[in-house]
Amino acid sequence: METRHDGPAGDAVTDALAPIGDLATGERAEIALRDGAVMLLGARSASSGVEAFPARAICPETVARDMAPAEFGPDAVLYAFSTVHVSASREVPYTLGYVDFPSGLRALAHVRGEGLRCDMPVTLRADEGGWWVEPAADAS
Amino acid sequence: MSGSVTIVGVGMIPMGRHKASSYPGLAVPAVLEALRMAGLSPRDVQAVTCGHAFGGMLTGQRIVKEVGIGGVPVLNVDNACSGGASALHLAARDVAEGRADVALAIGVDKLTQFGGGTLPLVEEDPEVRAGMVMPALYAMRARRYMHERGETPDLLARVSVKARRHGAANPFAQFRKETTVEEVLAARPIADPLTLLQCCPTGDGAAAAILVSERRRRALGAKGAAIRASVLHSGRATTGFRDMLTPEITERSAAEAFEAAGLGPRDLDLIELHDAFTIAELIYYEALGLCGRGGSAGLLRDGATTYGGRFVVNPSGGLLAKGHPVGASGVAQVVEAVWHLTGQAGRRQVPGARRALTHVTGGGISGMDHGACTVHVLEAVA
Repeated sequence: METRHDGPAGDAVTDALAPIGDLATGERAEIALRDGAVMLLGARSASSGVEAFPARAICPETVARDMAPAEFGPDAVLYAFSTVHVSASREVPYTLGYVDFPSGLRALAHVRGEGLRCDMPVTLRADEGGWWVEPAADAS
Repeated sequence: MSGSVTIVGVGMIPMGRHKASSYPGLAVPAVLEALRMAGLSPRDVQAVTCGHAFGGMLTGQRIVKEVGIGGVPVLNVDNACSGGASALHLAARDVAEGRADVALAIGVDKLTQFGGGTLPLVEEDPEVRAGMVMPALYAMRARRYMHERGETPDLLARVSVKARRHGAANPFAQFRKETTVEEVLAARPIADPLTLLQCCPTGDGAAAAILVSERRRRALGAKGAAIRASVLHSGRATTGFRDMLTPEITERSAAEAFEAAGLGPRDLDLIELHDAFTIAELIYYEALGLCGRGGSAGLLRDGATTYGGRFVVNPSGGLLAKGHPVGASGVAQVVEAVWHLTGQAGRRQVPGARRALTHVTGGGISGMDHGACTVHVLEAVA
């Protein structure tokens, strides 16, 4: 495909017009291991600095097409959480929470562990089944 | 809006589980009642808007063809829980901008088609794929509210107790039995700290309103409720921090509505707000400006938001007791308000009600408080 217009718009299908494959999550890892630490794989705009998880192609604030891979974690803070007992989409119970990373990014995470409270430090964890956060080892 | 718009007819069906009814089956009685109250016939209707979330294609046309309305613009609106109020907003625009002298707004939804449980959300959304359901979103707000304000779940339960007490006097409410704080807290957990009795029920319903121009209102000699403000907004998305106790979309919509109406919260006699879950009512007290930031718990505890208080919030029983067939709710709130403003609310009449505000949000999608928010300010006209 063409990468930029060099003719009439109605006669040039450019790369920018390719549908965004944002549902192809199976083909894109959400986490990576770095020296034993779990990192969330998101994206950051090179020009605006806007961060996103999941990764996306276009900056949602400036529409720049310069979202580059970026890693977040393993430390975050638990903003709020709830254990879900009735769900239309999966087996219950499970606990969801919003976690805030030091850079300002927020992500919805599955939460494990006891004694959860708002503003508690949490750490990313993962196994073959997926990723979650749990209270950080030094959280009191 | 340029021209004055008045609601001269309203109708709704009792909310509940009406599995034997189609979308037209639900909505037609509400439409006919609204026309009856307005003193108009189906042939007088020049434009139709229909809000729904789960009705499928051409819901509005399927309804109005059953009562001889055709050959006029019919617009179907999905804005999740704000669908009905969005339909009303569009109908008001049609009348205010001179496209119609008589417009019909319908809100309708049938949630029993899903067989219970949480509302099915759009699976394309990344948070929904991760397991987000509406009760969890509100439960996280509740958790944060208790954390920041030093409150406990019994405060949340008080919202349900008030809603059920109001609903007990409303024959259109799905739940008409009073409850207690103990009963609410002992109900089964849905998304903690929210229990079953802190969540709006699954149900079916329909509501309709007839909006007319000032010229038509005078010709009819009708009383009703003038629309002093009709505000619709979408949420602003962020990939970062959001204060879950300060829903910007509601704050912005309410501030704009008050400005357009030239009124403030203190001028209101009643408010129908989006109490899909108990915590929502507390948060919206603050977002609508009924009290200052941090004042919601005191406002509820002091009885300022029930009969005998400063204003009555959710005299219908709200979404918690009256029910919440999502696309129907925005219009049903307005039906309730118009009944009060025209002195037709019976046992639950807010004495001397002159001004009302209705507020409904819509949707759970990632990155924003809500996808939609609609606020209407209504004033009695004799």
